Amino acid sequence: MLDKIIIDGLSFALPLFVMAIGGIYSERSGITNLALEGLQGAGAFVGALVATFLMMALPSESQIPYYAAMFTAMIGGMLYAMLHAVLCVNFKANQVISGVVINILAMALTVFLTKVVNRIAFGAASDKFLLNVSSRWTIPGLSSIPIVGAVFKDIYPFEVIIVLVAIIAWYVLYRTRYGMHVRACGDNPQAVDAAGIDVAKIRFSAVMISGALSGLAGMCFAYSISAKYASTIYVGYGYLSIAALIFGSWKILPTLGACLLFGFAKSAGHQIVQVLEMPSSYSDLVMVFPYVLTLLLLIFFSKHNAAPKALGEIYDKGKR
Amino acid sequence: MSDYIIEMKNITKKFPGIVANDSVSIQIKKGEVYALLGENGAGKSTLMSMLFGMYEPDEGEIYVRGKKETISSPKYATQLNIGMVHQHFKLVSNFTITENIIMGMEPQKKFLGILPYVDVKGSDKKIAELSREYGLEVDPTKRIDEINVSTQQRVEILKMLYREAEILIFDEPTAVLTPQEIEFLLDIIKGLKEAGKTIILITHKLEEIKKVADRCAILCKGKLVDVLDVATTSTKEMANKMVGREVNFEVDKPEPHYGKEVLSVQNLTVKDDNGFDVVKNASFSIRGGEILAIAGVSGNGQVELADAIAGLMPAAGGKIILNGQDITHDNIRKRIDDGIAYIPEDRQKYGLILDFQLKENFPLKNYCKEPFSKKGILNYSEFDSFGEKLIEKYDIRSGQGNKTIVRSMSGGNQQKAIIAREVEQDASLVIFVQPTRGLDIGAIENIHKQIVAEREKGKAILLISLELDEVMSLADTIAVIYSGEILKVADAKTLSVKEVGEFMMGVKGNETKK
Amino acid sequence: MKQKNNSIAKFFVKMLGNEKYQFITIPVFSIIVSLLVGAIVILLLGKNPVEAYGNLLQGSGLLMKEKYAGGKGMLTDFLSFVDYWTPMIFAALAVAVALKAGLFNIGVSGQMLAAGFIASVTVGYSTLAAPIAKPLVIIICFVVGSLVGGLIGFLKHKFNINEVVSSIMLNYIVQYVTAFFIYTKYVDPVSRQSKNIADAARLTLKNVEIGALKGDIPLGIILAVIVAFIIKYVFDKTTFGYEIKAIGFNTNASKYAGINVGKNMVIAMMISGGLAGLAGATYYLGYFCSMQPKVLAATGYDAIAVSLLGNSNPMGILASSFLINIINKGSTYMSSKAGLDAEIASVITGLILLFSACGAYIQYLVKKNKDKIEENKKAKGEA
Repeated sequence: MLDKIIIDGLSFALPLFVMAIGGIYSERSGITNLALEGLQGAGAFVGALVATFLMMALPSESQIPYYAAMFTAMIGGMLYAMLHAVLCVNFKANQVISGVVINILAMALTVFLTKVVNRIAFGAASDKFLLNVSSRWTIPGLSSIPIVGAVFKDIYPFEVIIVLVAIIAWYVLYRTRYGMHVRACGDNPQAVDAAGIDVAKIRFSAVMISGALSGLAGMCFAYSISAKYASTIYVGYGYLSIAALIFGSWKILPTLGACLLFGFAKSAGHQIVQVLEMPSSYSDLVMVFPYVLTLLLLIFFSKHNAAPKALGEIYDKGKR
Repeated sequence: MSDYIIEMKNITKKFPGIVANDSVSIQIKKGEVYALLGENGAGKSTLMSMLFGMYEPDEGEIYVRGKKETISSPKYATQLNIGMVHQHFKLVSNFTITENIIMGMEPQKKFLGILPYVDVKGSDKKIAELSREYGLEVDPTKRIDEINVSTQQRVEILKMLYREAEILIFDEPTAVLTPQEIEFLLDIIKGLKEAGKTIILITHKLEEIKKVADRCAILCKGKLVDVLDVATTSTKEMANKMVGREVNFEVDKPEPHYGKEVLSVQNLTVKDDNGFDVVKNASFSIRGGEILAIAGVSGNGQVELADAIAGLMPAAGGKIILNGQDITHDNIRKRIDDGIAYIPEDRQKYGLILDFQLKENFPLKNYCKEPFSKKGILNYSEFDSFGEKLIEKYDIRSGQGNKTIVRSMSGGNQQKAIIAREVEQDASLVIFVQPTRGLDIGAIENIHKQIVAEREKGKAILLISLELDEVMSLADTIAVIYSGEILKVADAKTLSVKEVGEFMMGVKGNETKK
Repeated sequence: MKQKNNSIAKFFVKMLGNEKYQFITIPVFSIIVSLLVGAIVILLLGKNPVEAYGNLLQGSGLLMKEKYAGGKGMLTDFLSFVDYWTPMIFAALAVAVALKAGLFNIGVSGQMLAAGFIASVTVGYSTLAAPIAKPLVIIICFVVGSLVGGLIGFLKHKFNINEVVSSIMLNYIVQYVTAFFIYTKYVDPVSRQSKNIADAARLTLKNVEIGALKGDIPLGIILAVIVAFIIKYVFDKTTFGYEIKAIGFNTNASKYAGINVGKNMVIAMMISGGLAGLAGATYYLGYFCSMQPKVLAATGYDAIAVSLLGNSNPMGILASSFLINIINKGSTYMSSKAGLDAEIASVITGLILLFSACGAYIQYLVKKNKDKIEENKKAKGEA
């Protein structure tokens, strides 16, 4: 049972984490990003669409659709995120409103397009794309260590991808020029501008990165939760990851901690329902758990969190 | 080859509604200290922002080292070895000194020979060397939010030197410094000149020009009035040219007639959000007809002190007594009703609802009382007549009178509106925080007159100002605050500028305090 | 080419340039652009957009259909349209009240469901007589909604929790908790929804004979219109409205002026939640008479579009909700008639929302071009 909690917990926490990293990029650059929810859905839509086409062309045991889906979901999320970037950076719209608008539009568009594509391309009246069941890896040796071994058991391939992406994202944000500029933009864009760096470009690209990482996360959810793409992808995980990055006070490592907490809370809840042999309707009650936990944690951590100083501020270069 | 390192010819720059620079031409020699003198809004900063590539001129040409240049960005200005210290420092608060200095020109190293990363450690050493070379000692690993304003300014100067700037522009560099720090900065400027740098100093303070500048260009309302040789010109002459008329430096202030004690602050302690004591154990009192000015360097707790008296911040300890009544734990509304008027430092953030019309801003503190409302229903005709009365009485200028959205008004008129509203409260205590910040000389004179007039009505006045001149010319009593502590309270006549300056630095306080 | 650009700019400046009417011209512009984009999509799908949009009006009872089933007519369609319109008005007013106070209530759907659920299980499944049951439903829904809304305001005020995040969390909590109770206690085994409530508790009078027709009389609409006028009065004429607007524009200055920011924020959110509760009443105990578990009403999200479009002004909201409701209500008929997916309705609504979010930018563009044109004119005049 503990194994199951760890395995399921990780497979939920890691996508959440990679999405939160995206959020961190955007918000550290000074752009409030409530659009994560929509970005992950839009990205996953593109990924699932590509996978569906590839699955028809390739033999059923091929792993190519899986990785192609991950990759194209990142591209899709990135492209869709440009909408948020244009609104916030170029059009100077209210960033909170923009984020919410983008979420609503993402949901409407993807649900509509899923139906249209299904009808036109596959001649089926369906509101979802079915995906292959993801393969799972178990690392021999390591996985037989008691308790900790579960970390190496039944891993989704995407978990490995996420760990790699997270390490790169950490390195870029904290060690490279670009990352330094991103972090500076969220604190004092005037200083960045005076140093001869284009604030708009940095912010625009940071929002695009958040789109790519969200898209990846969305695709992972599509594979891990139900092996299909449907409107059920919009269950608020985007908002959950925002909550996670707030506890993590916009830093990558503490955010990982928050995500793991959510992940294990969720999987433990499910295990309890199963172990106590409660009727399945009780799983609805258990589903509430991460959200309640989020609210409670927010109550304790929101008061003194150190949000980036220039977060949500519109930067107008010409302003005197 | 021209003799001049910088030539700006017939520069014109327009912003919506104003001509910031009107065909201005200046020529700057290599190695001189060139001052740009003018009131706020005369167009000095705009002119230099164009030299630094932040705006492009609408008309005119810029020559650098005899070559015509289009300076389209600060980046290009940096390539031309031009550097600028802005009035509001452009520093990233959660970065170290080193990171701030190298930003935009970061030296990189390769991790494992492939992965590029910013070499912060190596830069630390380089910055430390650079700072020693020019006598601008700093600890490169300290974060900006851990160091004081004067050190931050040094970081800005180092930033220019790191970029190998030859032409250094200083925009109002002394506005945030104590007299002693100003002396130190002027010495640094002299040192930079000796090192062969060309320096452009934007200022409205004549003494500074007298001390360091070789030549001085005077701007008035966007136009170049004159270029003077500083050594042969008197300060009075410069001042008259700057304002375009005779200036009266002195404030007309009759002898004080003190009344009853209005405000008494006893052992007041205020904590900020992080639990630090920003005001420590402060005690003083103000009588009717008295102006008590608090002198101090920015960020030493004076704003928090005013906020605590007005009720915007809670008192963590001590007592505030107004007209014999303990108001320490009263809410803001109660304090307003009991007689506290407050002109806040940040007029746009605190003083006004910028998206309201002018007439809606006047009763901001009285809207819930008759005649402005009855039983929760507003009476807009009262808003109209009150607004018209105040606009007339205080000469507030705006596009559409009563109906003007306040955001569209000029800073000076916004401040007039706040002062009108607060003075009309007829409160027994009036708190002025930085009442003349960012205003031109005409407006400043006007506001000083108003402060004195309130004093003559027998009001108790608490004046908080970073401008030592203002403190010295208006105060009956001076209290000096340093690091949240009131180090000295004394009759203004018994203190010299130098003494006040020393208290402001915290140099003198500790031995005089028991 | 330049000449052409100029005349286009001039045209837009002429259409949108008058600041006095921008509150109406810019939203109308957003709507037209969205409808045009929608039309292109419809064309791409090989359908006739004019017909499709006509179907929307027909489905809303605003245009004659070719034929009607027995007992149905344009009037009954329109009554049904109004029945569906009512919760939208309440929901948009809920968003608007919060927006005025500078808060973003994205939890309207959750508040609707919470209110609808409590009212259903207390009054809806009781045997109370209509004169008691109906007012009781309204009161309960208002109270439940305002409790949820107030909680969001309280969390914001006391713990500095972003209201968007907390309302989303509450949305999910409400959704799953109600689903749990519906599945375990109130489920209708056939429809898998909650059991239908008693007619006595319902705010819509079903199948009333009107001449030869049989239609539904929505009682809630009267309340909705009255409430819209009350809210307008409160914002324009009362000290409370003045305080809320002041807080919405500038919390610091409001605090400085002695306004109790925290208290007013919580009250504003309570009113907002209460209105969302009324939306829930007219939705779950009016237009519908049962709840679908684990599903939040789209009305709560569309209300954001309606409110932005209507400039958060109650009168503007009456107009914009009417329009959005045509798209929503008519989409079913359009889908059956033109063979288009009904989901295109929410895409168009989403587009309208997107363009309204750009409203400030459009305003800025128009202003810029206007200044340019005027300067050109001046220059010409001088020359």
